[in-house]
Amino acid sequence: MPPTLTVLIAAATAGQDYSDFLRQYLTVVIMAGLAMALVGTLLGVGALLRPSRRQGDKHVTYESGVDPVGEHWSQSHVRYYVFALLFVIFDVEAVFIFPWATRLDADTELIGSGGEVLGVLGPYGTIGLIKMFLFIAVLALGLVYAWRKGVLRWM
Amino acid sequence: MTFAASMLASVDHPPIDWHALAPELIVLGVLAIIILVDAFGGEDRKWAISSITSIGLLVAIVPVVTMAVDGAVRSMFDAAYVVDNYALLFKALFLVAGYIVVLLSTNYIAEGDYWEGEYYQLLLASILGMMIMASARDLIGIFVALETISIPAYMLAAWRKRESRSDEAGLKYYLMGVFASGVLLYGMSLLYGLTGSTRLVDIAAAVSGEAPALVIVAIVFTIVGFGFKVSAVPFHTWAPDVYEGAPTPVTAFVAVASKAAGFVALITVVLVAFPTQPEIFEPLIWALAAATMTVGNVIALRQTNMVRLLAYSGVAQAGYMLAPLAIAGHSATSAELATSAIATYLVIYMAMNLGAFGIVIAMARKTGSAELSSYGGMLNYAPALTVAMTIFVFSLAGIPFLAGWYGKLAVVLALVQPGTWFGYSMAIIVGVNSVIALGYYAKIARIMWIDPAPDGDTTRVRVPVSVASALVITAVLTVAIGVYPPLVDQFTGAESFLTLGF
Repeated sequence: MPPTLTVLIAAATAGQDYSDFLRQYLTVVIMAGLAMALVGTLLGVGALLRPSRRQGDKHVTYESGVDPVGEHWSQSHVRYYVFALLFVIFDVEAVFIFPWATRLDADTELIGSGGEVLGVLGPYGTIGLIKMFLFIAVLALGLVYAWRKGVLRWM
Repeated sequence: MTFAASMLASVDHPPIDWHALAPELIVLGVLAIIILVDAFGGEDRKWAISSITSIGLLVAIVPVVTMAVDGAVRSMFDAAYVVDNYALLFKALFLVAGYIVVLLSTNYIAEGDYWEGEYYQLLLASILGMMIMASARDLIGIFVALETISIPAYMLAAWRKRESRSDEAGLKYYLMGVFASGVLLYGMSLLYGLTGSTRLVDIAAAVSGEAPALVIVAIVFTIVGFGFKVSAVPFHTWAPDVYEGAPTPVTAFVAVASKAAGFVALITVVLVAFPTQPEIFEPLIWALAAATMTVGNVIALRQTNMVRLLAYSGVAQAGYMLAPLAIAGHSATSAELATSAIATYLVIYMAMNLGAFGIVIAMARKTGSAELSSYGGMLNYAPALTVAMTIFVFSLAGIPFLAGWYGKLAVVLALVQPGTWFGYSMAIIVGVNSVIALGYYAKIARIMWIDPAPDGDTTRVRVPVSVASALVITAVLTVAIGVYPPLVDQFTGAESFLTLGF
């Protein structure tokens, strides 16, 4: 018998720890089942109770509003896509700055020239501040690039 | 005490070894410089970008060399980022491969209708990811490095805009790459769920002993994920189309540097995180390696396009490089031998394969095609290129006293070391495949030396200086390593090459 198969069989018969681990997923399955049952019941009961009279007007997008004009399929302009890409730069920036900022309240004190406590600085201190600005500078390169390539101009 | 001094005195940040990070920081700095040159330089400064890139890559080798001379193992961030001899060798390999690719690209990109600045920016970003990959000893680090390598490569594969084959190459590479990343990430998430750590050393400690079924699934998924990256059969289907459609310098980059990075990740994960589970990974890698070299070689026999032929030859070569991993779990000695055999092979493969692609680029300037028949009569009008290509293909075939021969020798020696039927059978498959491979490598030589030029056009090929220097570097490396193997052996055979997880 190939060694892999032996291990596989041994694991299937003896690996109780991992069925415990898998059992935790059962909660998720039950939750999903309950959610689907609830929605199904509500919609099903509604469908049984309500009267059904089909008319043309009822299939219009806004039954009681202005008649729709043109196609329902519209495309958004490609320039929005470029802004979405630019947004990613700032998004990434925020993702990394927030956890760093929460560390700023840790134990190091900032002492003023007269010996008074001005505030506290995180464990990463000045070096941490310099590093964060370096990180922002690298990301800002992306913005500079976009600006020079004329992406920011509304065309 | 002044304000600034008190702030500095109170600093208690985790120690960072700037020397160890210097190569990556230099590449990042060069990347920033070329973005600025591209953004503010104007059209007449575009030529400077490729020069800055190549100089930057050479400068980044300096700290790698000083660290190699120093010889200390530098470990940072709780051993999630390790710079040892193994990492240094591969960093040097990626930087040299990147330098040669820039040499091959310069004229190709400048003369065609391409975005020039962005090309080098993406290339450098990809190289940066590879250098991080060489040091990453943590699942998150490895995954981030893998994506840093791959995402620029997807875009570079589609760099010949308005050319439908190139669009197809980019899209195919992207879809297959994302699929592989998904499989890999699933395996990694299982590993993290089972062991509670993303660090490879902790995973090694947690999965030792008898493996439960989920560990098997996790290991198989992780190896399959990297299997796509190194184009192992049956996960190789993207390779020929991507190689053919992408611009040829990008093909050279993907075929050599990107594949080497996949191997680095595979070796690190398998030998640092799962060395105690040879029953699981050895049969899997044995089957992958045997299928990869056999299928690659047999399909290569029937190719009529040079780039597709090199693609399938690259698939087969990946099989030779996978082979030693199939016995690496036998003992610490065999793991060390396997690691240095693969590293040796990768260095040699870098030289000979980049050289072969260099010839394709040089010849395409005259013939405008990569069909095998267009290489007919090359001896008459391009004797130097013919000799160089002969060196590269016979080295790929493993003819003695060219570098490829020593790579195969190292692989076979590693395979027979444990003395098991597992290793012996793999060594026999490597041998049989080398004979099959000689068939198509010799066919290339026959076409170049004997066949007449297809259209009787025997005007000389004008080879740009940068391409010519890339060819000289790769040809000299190929011959020198073959004649005097300690050139590469002293770096890959070093004691405590990779800190293994045994």
